[in-house]
Amino acid sequence: MLTFFLKKLPSVVMVAIASSVIAFVLPRLAPGDPAVALAGSDASPEQLAAVRDQLGLNGSLYEQYFHWIWNLLHGDLGRSFAMRRPVATLISSRLESTIELAALALVLMIIIGFTLGILSATLRNQTTKAALDVVNTICLATPPFLTGLLLILLLGIAFPILPVSGEMGLLRDPVKGLQYLILPAFALALPQAAVVARLLATAINSVRGEDFIDLAKAKGVPPGRLMRRHLLRNSLGPAIVAIGLRAGELLGGAIVIEAIFARNGLGQLAVSSVQNRDYLVLQALILGAVLIAVLIQLLSEITIAALDPRIRLEG
Amino acid sequence: MTVPQSKPMHRRWFNPSIARYMEAFTTTRGIAALTAIILISALAFLAPVVFPGGYDVQSRESLRAPSFLHFFGTDELGRDLFVRSIYGLRSDLALVYFAVPVSMVAGTLLGLIGAVSPRLGSFVQRCLDIIVGFPGLILGICVVLVLGAGWTALLVVIVVSGLPGFGRLARATLLSQQQREYVIAARTLGVGKWQIMVRHILPNAVDPIIVQGAVFVVSAIFIEAALSIVGLGLQPPEPSLGTLLNNGIRYISRAPTYVLGPTVILIIVALAFSMLADALNATVNRK
Repeated sequence: MLTFFLKKLPSVVMVAIASSVIAFVLPRLAPGDPAVALAGSDASPEQLAAVRDQLGLNGSLYEQYFHWIWNLLHGDLGRSFAMRRPVATLISSRLESTIELAALALVLMIIIGFTLGILSATLRNQTTKAALDVVNTICLATPPFLTGLLLILLLGIAFPILPVSGEMGLLRDPVKGLQYLILPAFALALPQAAVVARLLATAINSVRGEDFIDLAKAKGVPPGRLMRRHLLRNSLGPAIVAIGLRAGELLGGAIVIEAIFARNGLGQLAVSSVQNRDYLVLQALILGAVLIAVLIQLLSEITIAALDPRIRLEG
Repeated sequence: MTVPQSKPMHRRWFNPSIARYMEAFTTTRGIAALTAIILISALAFLAPVVFPGGYDVQSRESLRAPSFLHFFGTDELGRDLFVRSIYGLRSDLALVYFAVPVSMVAGTLLGLIGAVSPRLGSFVQRCLDIIVGFPGLILGICVVLVLGAGWTALLVVIVVSGLPGFGRLARATLLSQQQREYVIAARTLGVGKWQIMVRHILPNAVDPIIVQGAVFVVSAIFIEAALSIVGLGLQPPEPSLGTLLNNGIRYISRAPTYVLGPTVILIIVALAFSMLADALNATVNRK
């Protein structure tokens, strides 16, 4: 296991370095000078220089980059231009909201995806199966923001069961927090769950043709155990790969969902930083998003390796 | 989607008879899709004729519920939401009808470029992989960051996010065709690489690319909507379906019908183009 991990390490480090460069360069490609924006258009050159100095925008791009990385490694993300607060404080104040949303969406995605996938692979009745396929296709084709809007209209306005906007920390009030969280997380999870379901169903159906399934049936393994121990376990690979890839989509989708449900999370911070050209906040957010996506993918690879010794040994 | 059966016979490289695709419009689904799309597009592009007042006529009646006077109700400034939705649809369709063909052509060329230089071809594929690696909206945010919110950014986002789909389809055709006898024969006869790409490989790629084009229209409209909902799309007062949703969400408790109209139009457009894609796909695969 450790050797498998060590083999993967160089590529992870490479991706991290590449994404740090992208995260650093991208905001600087944008037109406009944040120092001018901050100091006002009629500021004198001395004032501008002072503002630049304060923002750490002096020196060549290389110097700025290494300065940023050096501080980053020491846990200092710099200060936001627009909000005049340390970036770390800004991010950590929004972190809880986004993590709760993404984590619940991930859990829902796995539960719904596996349930739908196993159902559609085991159902015998053609009519129910076709109906399930239609449901699955609709979920697959509907983007999170549309699901979110329809859920708000249905469960928030037409039948006011759940709150439609705002949030409450789960740690502060678990019951209320969950009420605020369930709709956005569901909207975010549904399209991704449909992908997982479809892949899982295909995998189960192809494993079903294998000889060892016939053997297990011949031995008299009961259907439930056959599904758990023989079919599911050998079909998990594609589903886990999908979950790893989809987790990145969850982060992207979270931005829209936060806008729709008026949640004050990292997505909203990213959007407002784009509008304010807030370099340092954006750099940290882009880098963080890419790193999280890479880590989740690594995690899914490790899970697959743990499930299947063939991959672990060949790796 | 399956790549349709390829026909190794020599065909005119640009087959001007759209009769092959017209066959799609003899099925119920195809007729329904085509009618819906023509109606929607006509309504959208004739909006200045149908509603000569434009989308910015304000009145005192703000946030009204739907009525015969205002089909979708009114917005926070008393503007008719039906008119604004149609003008919004016009922005969306203009954007999509321009960006999707560009993305189709560019993506196909990028996918087929391997016929000219195999090394360049695989390099391009790696680049497309990177685009795929960016989760949906994050690509959009990066583009808006560099170009600023507005038409240009939306166009670039849509074109770029379409490239991998078209590029990979074209690449699949290339890989399946380039070892076929007729291509080898052409090469042996001394036909140039570009000519092989355009005359022999490209005709095989056209069918799947056109189907994918219809599929991608739906994604493109959703991309616009998603970016506009977070406030990084078209800027006010210009309406688009996404910006209407963005505004409507703020008033969702007071005027729930505000978001309903644009949402319904969005769903109708998505359904129409999905049906078109289905009908085309069925026709293309029948042969």
